[in-house]
Amino acid sequence: MWAGDVLTAISIDHVSRSFGTVRAVDDVSLEVEDGEFFTLLGPSGCGKTTLLRAIAGFADLDSGQIRFGNRRIDTLPPHRRSTGMVFQNYAIFPNLTVGGNVAYGLKARGVVAAEIKRRVARALKLAQLDGLGERWPHQLSGGQLQRVAIARCLVIEPEVLLLDEPLSNLDAKLRVEMRAEIRQLQQELRITAVYVTHDQEEALAISDRIAVMRAGRLEQVAKPQQIYRAPETPFVAEFMGTTNLLTGTVAGCEGEMLRVRVGPQEFRAAGDRREDASVCFSLRPEAIRLLGIGEAPPPGWSTFEAELGEIEFLGAMTRVALKINNGAVVRVASLDLLPDELNARGRVTAAYDPRRITVFPG
Amino acid sequence: MIAISRRDTFPLAITVVALVFLGLFLLYPLFNVFGASFLDRAGAHFTFANYTRMLSSRFYLGSLTNSLLLGVLATLLTIALGVPLAFCLARLPIPGKSLLLALASLPLVLPSFVAAYALVLLFGRAGIITHLLRDIGIPFSSIYGIAGMTIVFALTLFPYVVFPAVAAFKAVDVSIEEAGQNLGSSRWRTFWTVTLPVVMPAVLAGGLLVFIDVLENFGVPFVLAEDKPILAVEAYKLFVGETGGNPASAGVLGVALIVCAAIALLIQRHYLGVRRFSTAARRAPPELVVTPRLRRLASTYSWAVIVAALVPFIAIIVISFTEFRGPVMHANLSFDNFRDLLNQSSRPLVNTLALSTAAAIAAAAIGVPIGFAITRFRSKISALLDVIATTPFAVAGTVLGIGLIISFNSGWLVLTGGWLILVLAWMVRKIPFNVRASAAILQQIDPSLEEASINLGVSPLMTFARLTVPLMTGAVIGGMVLTWVTVASELSSTVVLYSGPWATMTVVMFQALEGEGAGIASAAATVLIVVTVLPVALVYRLLRRHELGMM
Repeated sequence: MWAGDVLTAISIDHVSRSFGTVRAVDDVSLEVEDGEFFTLLGPSGCGKTTLLRAIAGFADLDSGQIRFGNRRIDTLPPHRRSTGMVFQNYAIFPNLTVGGNVAYGLKARGVVAAEIKRRVARALKLAQLDGLGERWPHQLSGGQLQRVAIARCLVIEPEVLLLDEPLSNLDAKLRVEMRAEIRQLQQELRITAVYVTHDQEEALAISDRIAVMRAGRLEQVAKPQQIYRAPETPFVAEFMGTTNLLTGTVAGCEGEMLRVRVGPQEFRAAGDRREDASVCFSLRPEAIRLLGIGEAPPPGWSTFEAELGEIEFLGAMTRVALKINNGAVVRVASLDLLPDELNARGRVTAAYDPRRITVFPG
Repeated sequence: MIAISRRDTFPLAITVVALVFLGLFLLYPLFNVFGASFLDRAGAHFTFANYTRMLSSRFYLGSLTNSLLLGVLATLLTIALGVPLAFCLARLPIPGKSLLLALASLPLVLPSFVAAYALVLLFGRAGIITHLLRDIGIPFSSIYGIAGMTIVFALTLFPYVVFPAVAAFKAVDVSIEEAGQNLGSSRWRTFWTVTLPVVMPAVLAGGLLVFIDVLENFGVPFVLAEDKPILAVEAYKLFVGETGGNPASAGVLGVALIVCAAIALLIQRHYLGVRRFSTAARRAPPELVVTPRLRRLASTYSWAVIVAALVPFIAIIVISFTEFRGPVMHANLSFDNFRDLLNQSSRPLVNTLALSTAAAIAAAAIGVPIGFAITRFRSKISALLDVIATTPFAVAGTVLGIGLIISFNSGWLVLTGGWLILVLAWMVRKIPFNVRASAAILQQIDPSLEEASINLGVSPLMTFARLTVPLMTGAVIGGMVLTWVTVASELSSTVVLYSGPWATMTVVMFQALEGEGAGIASAAATVLIVVTVLPVALVYRLLRRHELGMM
């Protein structure tokens, strides 16, 4: 119904951009497929916004190329790139009505008045802004402004939709609603979207693929579940939600399982490393279960003994800190566990699935 | 290599055009003044003789110290009067507050030398009030001299301090004051240790305006200095001197004026460099709750200052309707002054209105794009433009006028004798103000708005015209009207540059005062007040909308 047949892949080829001595984007190459919802994720200052702005044309490249399909676009001025960008603060023109904002890009393209009216009405409907065309921006809520920003981009039928932390100014509940809406809209229109966020949960929920960035470089590019379950670096493991990063030495091999010694405690983990190698591994808190007294671990799981530390009750979940013998702390997240059940016990037995451990070179 | 992307061609074009303009009509004339000060009488050889001669002259050295002393005293008095007034207007419950704010902008309309003359008629040797005071036995000599000039400057220039200070007091985040009190500081101590330091940059910015205005002011010392030499006046006298002009000696004084202003500017920049307080109060602080006694005190003080500032106005209007026989005033209602003024010619009034309008539009047309280029595109060349566009601010009108005459009196471009040279001088003088005003409003417009427009397919040039300019409209018009009002009462460059048919209202007043025609001068001043009060009312409304923050 929209510009559904125009699918645009983005290829980013050895792109670099420095500000002074800081390499904001450092030799990044990646491919975004047609109609893909692609997210650039990372902490502030990692270069994700600079990369997005480079696609839009607001950050010049020091080197490298950006192509839409086969066309090189990094040499085009930003107003000729046919990207639709949603800004963090929405950037709604305060001197124009909602309808005026949405019509802005069409007027610039010399679209005739009747056609503008038709397309604005359709875009407002698509963004669930029916009947708000005459309103002024200051009369709208944050969520509505967000919708105006999206409608204003979509109405020009851009080849690529660029979103720069679009949800960061909304409250938590609205954020969850809007991200589902954005995803749904992108799916309906089959438009290629690049989304920038620092919120890993948002990235996991909304994306087809995620690129985790750190200090201007790509750490890992993969589907959400891979990024979470099979992080390639300790940074990715730690950035994608809470995890326990422990360092130890390989004590031996048992088939496909490694024995890793952390102080006096031994952990089993899936992997293949030589003996005495120093390694670092990640064990997610939700992959650990506290066993009741006398309870047996599930088949294939391993156990370790630990001393109870702080207990944090969060309603649906309870977080427990466990101290293992060498003083290292292992955090556990347990559903349906009440602090009272634990308080009486000094030491506990914890079980974990060795296949859920990811081992990195130390 | 500096890579210039296509995106930057528009601001680059602005920058180049602005640099060419300022190079031709500001730097080149100043260079010529500078050059003249190093040439011997024949104008052929390089020499330091002018400097050694002028600086060894007790008279001219005295003009330097007098000017500096006057600048410092007037600035201090203006701040001492203005800051408490600004605090009262911003934070205390004062009856008639909005009327006071409106009246406070009136001194911008009346040329300060006319205000000075009005005070001479009241407090001069033969002044009405001087006589009254003597009659009741109070010994009062007169207001001539440094003290009198200091008072006149404080009463005419206080808006430069009051408006930015009111804006700053209103922008103070109340929570930092509350934090001060919460940490055990009294309200009084909190004011001195928290509030005042936070508004100080704004106060000093206004203070600098006052200092430089005093330094370059030509009319007030002309009326009130008597035998005391003052730089701006002596430079003018040397240049147009009855015994034939002496551009070399005038140049030395001109260079001295520029150096003094530049040093003041650098001191202020240095001070502000480390004091960038962003006081992002979400809403204006509420009026303080004070005791009735303090409230009465504050009201009395505020009204007293404003009324004192309005004395010259009232005096001028009253005098313009008074009968004159020669230089002697008689207490009869009379329209003779206006009749005499109209009999002369209506040409000066037309000149003032038309040329001021041209200068205001032209100054905005070049100042606003410069403000855009230096706020939105940080580069070495825009930093250079920023410095050069601020320069006129430190250049006395007399000096710029002399420079323009030396530069465009002959050669490929002759401008002397026409109207264009007046418009150019006024434009150049008001560019810093227009640049500051537009830069201030641009800093409040999020750059992502412009990026959104460009992203939607509108070129940078069209984005500036269709989005940025409409968003700036209020401030730009405010700046234009203020430019209009201030050039309509401009004297220091006008008096050097005007010729024959292009005399303006201020020139008429100046000549009338020189020739004892106080009646005609006051009638001309009354006319000028009437035709400029309307725009000031407009400015006032706009300034209010912009929270008085654009000066």
